[in-house]
Amino acid sequence: MTDAPSHELHHHHRRAAADVSGNERASWLSGSALVVALVMIIGLLALIFYQGGRAFWPGDIERVSVSDGSVFLGVDSGEETIGDTEARRIRFLVGNRDLGQQSYRWVDADAIASRSVAGDAVQVERDAWGVFIGEPRSVVVRDGSGGVAETVWTAEGGSVDGLRRALREASRRRSAIRKLSEEELPAIERAIVNLGFRSRAIERRVDEPSAPRLHPGLWVVALLVVGGAGYVAVRVRGAGLRRALAVVALAGIAVAALEHPWSADGLSEAAAARKQTAIAERVARLESERDEVLAEIGTLRAEDERVRLVVADLQGRIAPRGIATPDEPMVASEAVGLVGGELGFGERVGVYLRRWWSYLSRSPGEAPGSGGIWPVIQGTVVLTLLLTAGVMPLGVIAALYLREYAKQGIAISAVRIAINNLAGVPSIVYGMFGLGFFCYGVGGFVDRGPETPAPMGQWWLVLGCVLAGLALTAVFASMGSRWGGVARRAAKWLGIATWLGVALAAGWLISQTPYFDGFFEDKLPEQSTFGGRGILWASLTMALLTLPVVIVATEEALAAVPNSVREGSFGCGASRWQTVRRVVLPSALPGIMTGAILAMARGAGEVAPLMLVGAVNLSPAPAVSGEFPFIHGDRTFMHLGFHIYNLGFQSPDAEATEPLVWTTTLTLIAIVLTLNLTAVIIRGRLRTRAFGVV
Amino acid sequence: MTTATTSVIDRIRAGEDVASATHPEVGEQDAVLDVDRFSLWYGQSRALFDVTMPIPRNGVTALIGPSGCGKSTLLRSVNRLNDLIDGVHVSGSMRLNGESIYDDGVDVIELRKRLGMVFQKPNPFPMSILENVVYPLRIDGERRKRVLNEHAERALRGAALWDEVKDRLHGSALGLSGGQQQRLCIARAIVADPEVLLLDEPCSALDPVATGRIEELIGEISSRYTVLIVTHNMQQAARVSAFTAFMYMGRLVEYGPTEALFSFPKRAETEQYVSGRFG
Repeated sequence: MTDAPSHELHHHHRRAAADVSGNERASWLSGSALVVALVMIIGLLALIFYQGGRAFWPGDIERVSVSDGSVFLGVDSGEETIGDTEARRIRFLVGNRDLGQQSYRWVDADAIASRSVAGDAVQVERDAWGVFIGEPRSVVVRDGSGGVAETVWTAEGGSVDGLRRALREASRRRSAIRKLSEEELPAIERAIVNLGFRSRAIERRVDEPSAPRLHPGLWVVALLVVGGAGYVAVRVRGAGLRRALAVVALAGIAVAALEHPWSADGLSEAAAARKQTAIAERVARLESERDEVLAEIGTLRAEDERVRLVVADLQGRIAPRGIATPDEPMVASEAVGLVGGELGFGERVGVYLRRWWSYLSRSPGEAPGSGGIWPVIQGTVVLTLLLTAGVMPLGVIAALYLREYAKQGIAISAVRIAINNLAGVPSIVYGMFGLGFFCYGVGGFVDRGPETPAPMGQWWLVLGCVLAGLALTAVFASMGSRWGGVARRAAKWLGIATWLGVALAAGWLISQTPYFDGFFEDKLPEQSTFGGRGILWASLTMALLTLPVVIVATEEALAAVPNSVREGSFGCGASRWQTVRRVVLPSALPGIMTGAILAMARGAGEVAPLMLVGAVNLSPAPAVSGEFPFIHGDRTFMHLGFHIYNLGFQSPDAEATEPLVWTTTLTLIAIVLTLNLTAVIIRGRLRTRAFGVV
Repeated sequence: MTTATTSVIDRIRAGEDVASATHPEVGEQDAVLDVDRFSLWYGQSRALFDVTMPIPRNGVTALIGPSGCGKSTLLRSVNRLNDLIDGVHVSGSMRLNGESIYDDGVDVIELRKRLGMVFQKPNPFPMSILENVVYPLRIDGERRKRVLNEHAERALRGAALWDEVKDRLHGSALGLSGGQQQRLCIARAIVADPEVLLLDEPCSALDPVATGRIEELIGEISSRYTVLIVTHNMQQAARVSAFTAFMYMGRLVEYGPTEALFSFPKRAETEQYVSGRFG
């Protein structure tokens, strides 16, 4: 099959035959390369889907007798051949790690004397020590002295359903305790700590002298002037004047905010005492609330402790309450799932789905691989959405400038090459940058304000220069269009130079903001808020990392918009911005969405930079919660990619957590696919809206 | 081709300045657009050579000539679309109703709002039919729905498109046929009552039936607007225009009433061109 274009054959008609066979070879070669690539990709996905998909599929429990005389309960979980020989060995999941054994046991196939399904054995799934495989004997309620007060269920005469009911009862109590101790209690404690910080801040302010501030009357007058300028700016015709007035209004608002008369630092003794009393009252209230919660937890725990599950392996060793107390049966609520020894197909499906649900909906526990991954999924999705929200406006505006405004030339080509090369910078470098710039630099500024503030006079001087520079830029910009030749070019370059100067000076002004001691100074030095690793800085770092992708995709989308459409818009008397906003951007939107999709896929899959800027093993509080402000940019978070790394390489029992590596990978892929699919659907909608149903 | 050594074509090719043969009837008209010794350069290469050409009010003036003769460049100079190209500079002057187009300090945006333009290829915007038509009003800040709807209906009726689209005004303009799209572009060009309507080979991308409709439309429109049309098709020029200008290699060769230019041209080259023996 050759697709040699006819004109090419015509031009080289003497070598036509050679061309045909050459093309054939080339098409075979390129086709084979494609097939190899496809096979690898499909193989990878198939492996992940197979391994991730089967990890939660329950097997029967077998009673295995080995030729050396030992007998154990285990679940067949695959086999392999030993070295080059024909001999095989089988891997059994045996669990019971708290009895001092490995989770898996390898047995040579030849050494197995007999194996039979153990119908009355069960797998008890627990958070702390993994699964326990054994025969359930009873569920008892103990009295104060350790004796049995009541037997809830026994193996003699009781069905497994009864056992299940008893365990479900216990786990309901466990989740009530968990809600109290992991959500309510920490929230109260955080509030108490914060009040402590505030009380200390008030103490500090008592001795401080009041800073000189604008007279309130003058301040009101200034505010009126600023408001008037803003109002006129909105109403006036004439773009230049409007812009100038808008600048005045914005600058005025900034100054007014800094100078607001009630922001005096000093605090009188009496006022301080009043505030301290109020704080003390609130602390007392919170403390009593905390004690109540603690008492409730205590009661529930004591009640919970009394209900015990007795389950024993073939040697009669029971699942212990803890590794130090081998004779005391385990607390019933420790069992988060119960799987029978012999399962029908329907039961298997039920257990499979239940395991997936519990995995997806629960929080990870202290032990690696225990619990679920719900907050991890949350962290990943929130990070991805935040980074998209961060990168899209910036990338699109940058690409708009490059493609629609900038004069194409050597300088712009150089910028373009630089951007393309940014996409090739190792991601860990972005991580380093994010940690240094966002976490410690910007975050530190947000927390405590400028480190060494400049003298006030200097600051006001620079502010004046910035305002004058802005005016000058506007003048150069408007003059340039009226003059011709050299004057025009000079005006343009002067305009650019002043503008750059203004931008630099404005950055300096912000970094030296006077009267600003940070938003979270009260908590320092014990507790940094934004001045450390967190999901906000992580997503900004990732936004930076994906910026080149977005710029390149957007530029391509803009380049694909036919020039005739732009000319049509200009011909109607539209300005460049109107043309861009109303005609070019809507046409390019589907292509821009493609950029967003690429950015999301890249961002969701990165791990290395996240380890530096905010991803953690186990976050103390979720980055998203019902607590105001709902998305907590300052909190560390969990991320599926990092979670996979932890499960696979940081877990003390890597063999036991291996199946979870696969399920987590599968979840990550599913999330990336879902996000991309959503974006693809939105893109389809946009395309239909922009170009009609074709 | 004649071999006369005095041939205007040969003299133009030799780089000589050649004054155009402008019929006296042109001068008797009230000019809405006055082009005076207008020249244009793309960087180093000169595209227009001292074109002097008054465009009469309320009528159709056609620009004809072989490819690359500068007729489109001249048309695009009227609304300064050539400004978008790097390295373009001009000399001479153009006046629209007495106001200079190329003076320093002329607001190009405001200038373009006074003109309407239709391009070679239909270029509807990716928005609804209604929004396409009222686009020039929208960018001028008009937001009142009633005003927009009234203007849209008037312009669409003027472009003979109303009956075909009145039930789907909110559908995408890109779903229209090529001929409908071009009439939509004409509606867009006339919605803001332009002083001159510039048509740049408006039928070259259309089939004969659609071309016929557009030509009819140009005839109707010319009673209300001044139309300046660039065309490749001499029959079209003969059918629709009152005045015709023949251009060659950036020069205006002959300019006069269409009938005169086609029947009794002053220059032999014009006669050769309009009769298809050259070009």
